[in-house]
Amino acid sequence: MTGLKNAKAVENTDDYRNVFVFLEVREGKFLRSALEMIGVGRDIARKVNEKLVCLILGNNISKLADEAVEYGADLVLGAESPDLEEFRTLPYTSIVSDWVLKEKPNIFLIPASRNGRDLASRIAVKCQAGVTADCTELDIEHDTRILSANRPTYGESMLAEILCRKHRPQMATARPGIFKVPEKSRSENPEIRISKVKVDKSLKTKEIIEFRKKEKVDLSAAKIIVSGGLGLGKAEGFKALEKLAKTIGGEVGASRPAADLGWISRDHQVGQTGQTVRPRLYIAAGISGKIQHIMGMKNSENILAINIDPNAEIVTYSDYVIVGDVKDVIPRLQKEIDSYRKEHSGKKESKIASAS
Amino acid sequence: MALEIVVMVKQVPDSQEVVIDPVTMNLNRSLTRNVTNKADENALEAALQLRDEVGGHVTVVSMGPPQAESTMIECLARGADRAILVSDRFFGGADTYPTGLTVASAISKLEKVDVIFAGEESSDSSTGHVGPGVAEFLGMEQATYVSSVKYADGFIIAERELEDGTEVIKMPTPVLLTILLNANVPRRQTLKRKIAATKQGYEVWNLEKLGMPPEWVGVRGSPTIVRKMRPIKEKERAAKRFEIDQIPDLVRELFEIGALKLEEMQ
Ligand SMILES: Cc1cc2nc3c(=O)[nH]c(=O)nc-3n(C[C@H](O)[C@H](O)[C@H](O)COP(=O)(O)OP(=O)(O)OC[C@H]3O[C@@H](n4cnc5c(N)ncnc54)[C@H](O)[C@@H]3O)c2cc1C
Repeated sequence: MTGLKNAKAVENTDDYRNVFVFLEVREGKFLRSALEMIGVGRDIARKVNEKLVCLILGNNISKLADEAVEYGADLVLGAESPDLEEFRTLPYTSIVSDWVLKEKPNIFLIPASRNGRDLASRIAVKCQAGVTADCTELDIEHDTRILSANRPTYGESMLAEILCRKHRPQMATARPGIFKVPEKSRSENPEIRISKVKVDKSLKTKEIIEFRKKEKVDLSAAKIIVSGGLGLGKAEGFKALEKLAKTIGGEVGASRPAADLGWISRDHQVGQTGQTVRPRLYIAAGISGKIQHIMGMKNSENILAINIDPNAEIVTYSDYVIVGDVKDVIPRLQKEIDSYRKEHSGKKESKIASAS
Repeated sequence: MALEIVVMVKQVPDSQEVVIDPVTMNLNRSLTRNVTNKADENALEAALQLRDEVGGHVTVVSMGPPQAESTMIECLARGADRAILVSDRFFGGADTYPTGLTVASAISKLEKVDVIFAGEESSDSSTGHVGPGVAEFLGMEQATYVSSVKYADGFIIAERELEDGTEVIKMPTPVLLTILLNANVPRRQTLKRKIAATKQGYEVWNLEKLGMPPEWVGVRGSPTIVRKMRPIKEKERAAKRFEIDQIPDLVRELFEIGALKLEEMQ
């Protein structure tokens, strides 16, 4: 199928039905993005009464298929082989594009992770289709079944709405951490089709000699994040943040310069070149609020800024602001939270008792 | 064995000084300076290092308007052996599909290709799709997001940076590699090299040279279109201000709205 060929408009877009989502698996488990893809794909499919089709490649995937069904897959297409245990461009492209060409989906969503983009670019060319990269909003137009794919552009200042009118499937990669993990919601007649495949030798040219895993803090699942920036003044500043985070059941985050200085490891970094987070509460201590940081945390439900400068940029992105020096504010916040707890933990029990 | 190496580069608007036209919501190109995409400079450097070590030639291929001349000269001045600007009014307005097709078509006209380098993505469109697209058009193995490259006996050994760690991979040539931004330090252009580069010049290939139908390329060959652009509106936030002595009030409010929860505390 390779060769220099053009993107081909399809004759009849009505021949193309259903929503494909690619579910990324690492070390035998779904990445969080897999559930995000199910969530957004399910919403789109149900809007136009079409099927959500989940694609899973790996070695032992029957449990994963069941999990996808719990979350609402109408159909799971699976391919199993020891050669599919790790992501490799050529075999994954071959299997997935075979499914696309055979099943003719209207829409195909893939996470905009590194492997996701690696795959999506190749599938688009192989299937002579259009793909919109790194979307943060996805919707479907009811009558035309055209995907409205929206992606930030010009340094995240603008949102471009991109359509693919005549080519199918309408492909998009979706930025991880943006779409919500959905509630479980089983479809009425789910179907699972897993086949054992043999990967052709010609597709096995990439040998993975070694994988060096990073110890990674997963901030994307945190309910509360306490982040620190250059305003902390020194590495020790993070000690107080760690203590506070621990008390309130949160994780510690950081701005890039704080990580650059080695005050905390890189895997805590939030922002454009770090993680994208959406906790219930985001506390930004001594962080100025430059756009590259904001991009990574602006979807947090509640944002509390702690800054010595009442006019810092972070203020306009915040629900709450404490103006003051972190050296005074953090210990005081810790103290007040501790005493609130002491005061209320007794009361809470009595509340439960009276409710029953 | 000498390697024939290709580097895909793109000229982009300088991201430090992007000016948006408030009426059209598009980039005001006349006010924006053009530079070579930074990750492509890292791709070129990786290519030059490989050539200097193993021997061979580095050919730079770029699709772009005539003003990409400065990028072509810059790549030669940094040490590329040959530069080809694929340029024609038909190529304008291309999305990633026809861009990949056009670049792949130009590369397929070269006598021999062992390794293709590209930047991980361009700073103006940030898709990362064109490099792998070219690999698919040419039926080649690929490795994306590469931070280091070695060559031995017909194989490339590369380190590939993923979200959760580093993959060390081995692939036979031909192969396409996309190089991470800041993976290396690009060598400087010297005045002497710059003069030589200007004298040497670069080639311009048009659509006729590629021999593709005009409806395959540029805006006509693009499956996607931009319907509209709008400024990203952030959620309005109250920025309710508290002085240090009011922290007890804030703490109470955070518990009351459920931002903090007693049952989650440790
Ligand atoms: C391509 C690119 C990608 C980037 N990616 C990221 C990214 O992913 N994440 C990221 O965070 N940044 C990123 N940056 C960097 C970003 O532009 C900013 O430089 C960075 O976010 C600023 O970090 P900061 O807020 O910690 O430091 P500063 O901007 O220096 O802000 C420090 C703040 O602390 C306040 N302060 C000072 N002293 C005190 C005190 N005693 N008590 C209370 N407040 C105090 C100051 O008023 C100020 O607001 C990126 C930049 C580029 C160009």
